[in-house]
Amino acid sequence: MGEVSRKPGKPLQVNPIKLSQPMGAALAFLGVNQCMPLMHGALGCASFTKVFLTRHFSEPIAIQTTAVTDITAILDGGDYNIVESVKNITAKVAPKLIGLHTTGLTETKGDDIRGVAAKIDFPLVHVNTPDYEGGLESGWALATRALIRQLVRPTDQVQPDKLVLLPHVGLQPIEVEKIKEFIALFGFEALALPDLSTSLDGHLGHKQGALSGGGIEVDDIENLADAALVISIGASMRDCAQALREKNPAMSVHHFDHLHGLEVSDALVELLMQKMPATEIHPGVKRWRMRLQDAMLDCHFALGQTRFAVVGEPDQVAGLCQALTEAGGRVTLALTTVDAPQLAPIKATRVLVGDLEDAERLHEDYDLIIGNFHCEALALRYHKGLVLRGFPNWEQVGNQLKNDLLYEGGAYFLCEVANAADHQRRHEAKG
Amino acid sequence: MAKKPKIKDLLVESACSHSAAKKSACNTQTPGATTGGCAFEGAQIALFPYADAAHLVHGPITCLGASWETRATPTSHRGHDFTQMGFTTAISTNDVVFGGEEKLRAAIDYIIENYAPQAVFVYATCVTALIGDDIDAVCRQAQSTYGIPMIPVHAPGFVGSKNLGSRLGGEAVLAALVGTKEPEVRTPYDINLIGEYNVTGDMWQYTPLLEELGIRVLATLSGDGRIADIRAAHRARLNVIVCAKSLISLTRKMQEQYGIPFISLSFYGKRDTSSGLLAIADALGDEDLRERTRTLVAREEAWLEEKLAPYRRLFEGKKAILNTGGNKSWSIASALQDLGIEVVATSVRKATEDDKEKARQYLGESGVLMTNPGTEQAKIIDQTGAHLLLAGGRSLYTAIKKRIAFIDVNQEKKKSYGGYQGLLNLAEDIKNALENPVFNIVARRAPWEK
Repeated sequence: MGEVSRKPGKPLQVNPIKLSQPMGAALAFLGVNQCMPLMHGALGCASFTKVFLTRHFSEPIAIQTTAVTDITAILDGGDYNIVESVKNITAKVAPKLIGLHTTGLTETKGDDIRGVAAKIDFPLVHVNTPDYEGGLESGWALATRALIRQLVRPTDQVQPDKLVLLPHVGLQPIEVEKIKEFIALFGFEALALPDLSTSLDGHLGHKQGALSGGGIEVDDIENLADAALVISIGASMRDCAQALREKNPAMSVHHFDHLHGLEVSDALVELLMQKMPATEIHPGVKRWRMRLQDAMLDCHFALGQTRFAVVGEPDQVAGLCQALTEAGGRVTLALTTVDAPQLAPIKATRVLVGDLEDAERLHEDYDLIIGNFHCEALALRYHKGLVLRGFPNWEQVGNQLKNDLLYEGGAYFLCEVANAADHQRRHEAKG
Repeated sequence: MAKKPKIKDLLVESACSHSAAKKSACNTQTPGATTGGCAFEGAQIALFPYADAAHLVHGPITCLGASWETRATPTSHRGHDFTQMGFTTAISTNDVVFGGEEKLRAAIDYIIENYAPQAVFVYATCVTALIGDDIDAVCRQAQSTYGIPMIPVHAPGFVGSKNLGSRLGGEAVLAALVGTKEPEVRTPYDINLIGEYNVTGDMWQYTPLLEELGIRVLATLSGDGRIADIRAAHRARLNVIVCAKSLISLTRKMQEQYGIPFISLSFYGKRDTSSGLLAIADALGDEDLRERTRTLVAREEAWLEEKLAPYRRLFEGKKAILNTGGNKSWSIASALQDLGIEVVATSVRKATEDDKEKARQYLGESGVLMTNPGTEQAKIIDQTGAHLLLAGGRSLYTAIKKRIAFIDVNQEKKKSYGGYQGLLNLAEDIKNALENPVFNIVARRAPWEK
């Protein structure tokens, strides 16, 4: 744990890594089956998001815009654009849910989307996500909380083997699936909200629909409150767990800042064993734990002599720093997009809320960068190793299949980073 | 400093042959049923390739966070390549409440101090336009302080579509840059390339040929562009619009203000490249140049034909369907035909009237102009026995289902298909697609479905 600089010391962002709240909210809605995210703003907000996510996932992305124009920006309180949008969307496709969220434009003009939503006779969840506040992570969390508050039916009953998983936005679709499967090995049925593991996991479906194809069912969201156990992953998701608990105080709520590394994976196992005492530990779990132990030892030579810069959303950075630190990697710079409470405990010499210009200034501090594809130019300029993680990665395919979590993913992650570090050292030595 | 552009004037373009027929077609937006980018995006596309100017986006993080380093628009500019950098004031709630001008001023100071650009473009966005930040005043003040051009770009997203935004970008350049400097030397063969953004290096496929002919590219808007050049662009003999409609207002106004005639052409495919070069020579009106161009075109075509021969044998009898937008609906069709591939259908869903006419011309009477390609293309594959689908990623499944080769001409484009050399690149990609067994194998039934 090192020095945390929270306030950017400059009036602008140069080469930003930060992404917007509306984008996070749209992504969350894509984790609900047959949902249409509807971004209340000008054309561009939705268009940029659509292109951005399409390129990152190499999949078609369903999203619509209320297409606010200069006229409606001034004259309309949002009613016309939103009501017309719902009419036009439902004339063409049959979503089970519309996820309505705002942008900076419609927040600035002060549209009352809650009021408009009340007039619309169609399943719709609304959430305020101005893009001049927060970032990708908070947009995702706000949309998730809105789904919980507006859809989940209160109850006081619990099903002992039902578990709700609340993953933060940095988790890849395959990672969510792996956590669900891991938990299932202990006898729980896990439901994730949102669940990109079945919608944006890069599967070849029967057709490429105009709506999200996969994700948690709307019915299942409505019935989440009878789960005995709630596990939120990532500090950004704590509020969502609380929102769920308000629907049923009998729920047992547990939180993990991340699921990276051996220690926290053990902690999850302990929790699950405690909640389901009769279960035998699955041989696969034991085997993967041994593989991770071995991988940590195999990788510690390479990682122990490497200084890392880790760049991304706070929750993801927290996890990656933990995994690297456990195997001896020294994170000399953790660079995150927004200020957040979870920055203080991050295991890094220096934690900075900033942009890639800041990373460039500090380039003598690290040997290898872990971050999104915008880091590539920086890595090339200063001859740094590079492992691509986070949004966006337009240079590589298979983003949704990258698993860094728990025993299994942790082993793969450390090997990938160690190999990249060694490769870079050899390459540099040759000049 | 010029006053803000009039949107209405830009939507009705007198030099656009169909503008009278279609009522403000460039600005139609249907809530919940519209795709495509906004005006800000269009302005960015038009101006970002100026590599020696900083591009400062005055707005919340959405506008730039998701859009910098988006396009491969290479530049020969040495020093900071600002086309691949992002600058934004990333305004916060505080700025929305109290105004963002102070932050904008400070951001400009920071950029000048740390990056020493030749100019700064300042882009208004929805939020900063709505809260009324006076970017004109900030730019005026900064320009007098620093003595380099500070160009306000009034294209907030809500004023309209991407196409309109490109026009607004052109307006900003015309108002603030063109005619503010004299070129060091002038030649009788000075031209401007307008609407060529050098995506994947397209421009460099044919500029060496222009150079060989003695034709000098005085300025571009904006591929591999320099601020000093565009400031002197008013001394060109000819404006050449490359494969784009959006900047026709700019060239029309340059004709009115500076007497520069303009022509519009494409450098996709053999025929278009050749006729493009000849058209430039014609427009410059020099018989000797014409003769040299004819010789050069003959030489290049002969070279290309020799290179293409093996591909032609492979492509014989092959039929393709093209589902893309705008001018690509005919320009890529023409390139495919140059390779000996029959184009049986092309999408005209997002095309202008001009583009539709051209597509009809290239495809002939029997070719289908698809207005709803999503549903039509599968049917046409069955009817025509097409072997190849060129489209955006959304159509991938159609190709798999029909087990025909697929080329993504929207997202995946990383190679240049421009000029003579580019046609070879395209031929190689099509060859690889046709020979790839993946579509047949992926479309196999699962064991449990048999």
